[in-house]
Amino acid sequence: MVRRSGVLLKKVAAGISSRLAEILVCPLTKQPLRMCDKTNSLISDSIGVSYPIVDGIPRLVPSDGIILHSDQDLNSSDPPQTNSS
Amino acid sequence: MSMRSIYRGLRRNHSRLCSHLHSHATSFGFKEVREEDKSQMVGNVFTSVASSYDVMNDLMSGGLHRLWKERLVSRLNPFPGMKHLDVAGGTGDVAFRILDSIHGVARRAVGDIHDDNLLEETQIFVCDINPNMLRVGRKRAQERGLGDSKSLIWVEGDAEKLTFSDASMDGYTIAFGIRNVTHIEKALAEAYRVLKPGGRFLCLELSHVELPIFKDLYDYYSFSVIPKVGELVAGDRESYQYLVESIRRFPKQEKFATMIAEAGFQKVEYENLVGGVIAIHSGLKF
Repeated sequence: MVRRSGVLLKKVAAGISSRLAEILVCPLTKQPLRMCDKTNSLISDSIGVSYPIVDGIPRLVPSDGIILHSDQDLNSSDPPQTNSS
Repeated sequence: MSMRSIYRGLRRNHSRLCSHLHSHATSFGFKEVREEDKSQMVGNVFTSVASSYDVMNDLMSGGLHRLWKERLVSRLNPFPGMKHLDVAGGTGDVAFRILDSIHGVARRAVGDIHDDNLLEETQIFVCDINPNMLRVGRKRAQERGLGDSKSLIWVEGDAEKLTFSDASMDGYTIAFGIRNVTHIEKALAEAYRVLKPGGRFLCLELSHVELPIFKDLYDYYSFSVIPKVGELVAGDRESYQYLVESIRRFPKQEKFATMIAEAGFQKVEYENLVGGVIAIHSGLKF
């Protein structure tokens, strides 16, 4: 039962995530975000930053953003960089 | 008078003005801290108190905080289909009440298909900078049977840099949160930005008591009783010391109302509860 509720939570989270990408904007640039299912994160293309979604909760705090070094390099394993603002 | 002394006078006033402007940003309770450190320090406070946050609220206010939040929600006048943002609402108290109120409104109204659709369109965003508070909130939602509600959306975000687009919200509430923000003006500006024209801003916060004897009783309660209870119940005296000190450092009712008006809001009013222990400030975006 624990496994099933875990799967349910993931499904709900995935469903919510795609809606979120429509509603939320990048906290720094206020530009639209793009959902990336592979890394389960929201991408701000205008500044090349990805915001993780942890436990179904998107972390859209500027200091949680991970700078992407190239458009394709979404598996960037760099430690989170603080965005200066 | 010589130009030099006029210049010196101006510079003195300027630095006095600057230190006044920046005093909230560099105050952590009664301590002075670096502006860039404040956010982290506040974060540590709430990470520490998250699990006992609701119990402590009940204890410290004798359960009254529930009434204050009810009052806040009734001032908001929630409606089905609304898009609402509750900032610093981590454990979900205000959001749950808004949802309950909307479902109450829907039940009372004459039902038709249009109303059901509206109900589904309701979106309450709970935004908090602290993930622990959000986790506690989401767990409480599940306990209340709201775990699968599509209307409740949890987002980790910064009140000073909101992740919502311009003019997207019908309502904005911040309950017991604005005191913890480093730059109040930025939070107010962001609140103004995300509200639609016609949107309402509501802030519930601990404020200043001026009544002579009551003030002394309140000070005694704040500085002698609360940190002690924090120590006994939450095992964290320091955090509750910060909380009571931060209340004293927050601008007074009139000053805060001025700040809200400066952010662009109209019809700015405030209502004192319990002699000023609590104030609900409200404003409209036209």
